[in-house]
Amino acid sequence: MIAYAAFARSGFLTSLAYRNEVWANIFGKLVQVFARVAIWLAVYAGVTAVDGISISDMITYALLGGVVMGATRYDRIVRQVGNALKTGDVAIWLLKPVHYPLYLLAIEAGMSAYTFLLAVVPTIAIVALIYGMQPPASLLHGLMFVGFCALSFIIHFLCAAIFGVLAFWLMTVFSLEWLLQSLISLLSGLLIPFWFFPEPFGTIASHQPLAWLVYYPSAVWLGRLDMGATLLYFGIGLGWAGLLATVLALLWHRASSRITVQGG
Amino acid sequence: MTALIEARGVSKRFRQHKRFPGLLGALKTLVTTEYTEVAAVSDVSFDIAAGEAVGYLGPNGAGKSTMIKMMTGILVPSAGTLSVLGRTPHQERMANARQIGVVFGQRSQLWWDLPVVDSFTLHQRIYDIPAARYADNLKRFSDLLDLTPFLDRAVRQLSLGQRMRAEIVMSLLHDPKILFLDEPTIGLDVVAKDAVRRFLAEINRERGVTIILTTHDLQDIETICPRLIMVDHSQLIFDGELGRLRAALGSARRLTLEFATDPGPLPLGTATLTSDEGLLKHYLLEREDVSLVQVLSEVGSERGLKDVALHEPDIEEVIRTFYQRRNAAAAAQ
Repeated sequence: MIAYAAFARSGFLTSLAYRNEVWANIFGKLVQVFARVAIWLAVYAGVTAVDGISISDMITYALLGGVVMGATRYDRIVRQVGNALKTGDVAIWLLKPVHYPLYLLAIEAGMSAYTFLLAVVPTIAIVALIYGMQPPASLLHGLMFVGFCALSFIIHFLCAAIFGVLAFWLMTVFSLEWLLQSLISLLSGLLIPFWFFPEPFGTIASHQPLAWLVYYPSAVWLGRLDMGATLLYFGIGLGWAGLLATVLALLWHRASSRITVQGG
Repeated sequence: MTALIEARGVSKRFRQHKRFPGLLGALKTLVTTEYTEVAAVSDVSFDIAAGEAVGYLGPNGAGKSTMIKMMTGILVPSAGTLSVLGRTPHQERMANARQIGVVFGQRSQLWWDLPVVDSFTLHQRIYDIPAARYADNLKRFSDLLDLTPFLDRAVRQLSLGQRMRAEIVMSLLHDPKILFLDEPTIGLDVVAKDAVRRFLAEINRERGVTIILTTHDLQDIETICPRLIMVDHSQLIFDGELGRLRAALGSARRLTLEFATDPGPLPLGTATLTSDEGLLKHYLLEREDVSLVQVLSEVGSERGLKDVALHEPDIEEVIRTFYQRRNAAAAAQ
C-alpha cells in the first residue's frame, strides 16, 4: 500500500516537472468550458426553460462537466498502457513486486490530483464568477457529488485502461484512443445531457457505464435525482466499476501471460 | 553446495506468424494461421553457485536476453526446468522479484522527469527497505560510484554513463542476492565502462552478491567474471574460465606495427607475420605468455618504429576460432 501511495506522489511530482504545461492546460480548459457554455447560451436565446431546465441549470451542468472530466486523461492512460505493452517496457514492471494495473491507477490518481488542483479549480472558478454557478441541491446532494466524482474517476480509468490493454492485440493505440474519445463525448453526457436525448436513446444512454463519468455526478449536484435514486444509481455505478475491474483484470492476465509465454 | 541457479535443458522457442513476400503475400499474411518457430535458447544447462560472477557472452541474437528474462521470471521456458533461489521464477514472480536486482542496459527503470534520488526513494517503498538500511546502502554505493554530485538532478539531464551508474545503484538498494545485468556497459565510454566494471567486481567480492551479466564485450568478462558461459545460435558452446577458453583458442591477439620508414621484411620469433604493407606490418601473437614488451624488444629501437596497436580478439572472432577448432577436432576424430 505504501508503494502505491508513493507512486501517486511520483505522478503528482512528475506533472510538476513541466510548469509550462500547467498554463497551457488552464488555457485549454478555459476554452473548452467557455465553448460549452456558449453553445447553451445560443440554444437558450430567448427561451427561459426547455423541459423544465433553465439556462442557469445548463451553465452549471457545463461547468460540472469540466470538474469531473477536467483532470483525468483517458488519452494518457490508453497511450501509456498501449505503448508499454507494444514496446515491451512493461517487462520492467513485471520485474518488480507490484501489480501493474494498480500502479497505473496510483500514477493516474497523482497526475489527476495535480491537474485538478492547479488547472481545473482555477478554470471553473473563473467561469463560475463570470456566468454564475448553482450550489448543490442540498448538503447531502453535495456530499454524494463527491462520492460520484470518485466513482467517475475509477470508471474513467478502468475504461481507458481496458482500451489500452486491447492495443496489445489490435496493435493500434491511436485509433483506439479516437474511438474512446468519441464514445466518451457522446455517452458520458459531457456534450449533451441525456434528458435532451430522444427516447429510447436517453434510457439506453443512462444505463451504460460511461453515464457515470459526467451525467450522474452532474444530475446529483443539480438535484435531478432524489436521495433514494441517488443511492440506487451510486450502487449501480459501483456494480459497473466492479464489472469493468474484472474485465481489466482478465484482459491484463491474458496479456501478461502472453508476454511471458510468447515474449510479446 | 547447492546451486543458486539451476538450469536443466532450458529451451525457449518463439512462434511467429509466417510472413509472405510481396503485395499478395502481405494479404496472405493477414489471414494465415501458419507459424514459424524460432529457437532463442536451445537445451541450455548450467549451475551457478552463491557468490559467483558469471559472464553470459554471445553475439547479438544469440539468446542472452531471453535467458536473463527466463531467470528473472518474465518469460516462461518452452522446455526444461529452471530454478532460481529454489523457486521456479515465472511461477513465483513476485517473491523472486524481491530477492533479485535487474539492470537493463537499453531500458531505464529510473523516472525520467524526477531527480535520481526520487527514483531511489520510490524503490525503497516498492521493496519495503527499512530506512536505516536504505540510507546505509545509498551512502555506500553512491560513494563507490560517485553518484552524490548528481543525485538531485532530473534523470533526463544525466549523461548515459551517469544514468547507468544510477541504474546499478538502484538495483542493489534492496540487497538482492542475485544481480542480473543485461548489457550494462553498452554505449558507455571507456571511463564509465571502467567505473562500472570495478564497482561490480567489488560488489561481488565484498558483499557476495551473485552476478550474472550478459555482454558482447570480452573486457567486461575479464574484469568482473572469472567464469564465462558462451552462447551462439541459441546453444551453449562453452562454460568455464576465460583463461581456459583463451588457452583452448591459443589467444590469437593481433599486433600492428607502424614504421616511419620501411624496414623491409621483418620476421619475429615471438610473433608471426601475417601481412606486410611495408610501413604497416601485421602479426599474430599466438602464445599467451608472450608480452608486448618482449615483442618490442625483439623489434629493437633502431628500426624506426612509430606506433604499436594490440587488438584483443573480439567476441565474433573468439567464436569463429572456437568453431574452427571444434570442427577441425571433429574432422580429426
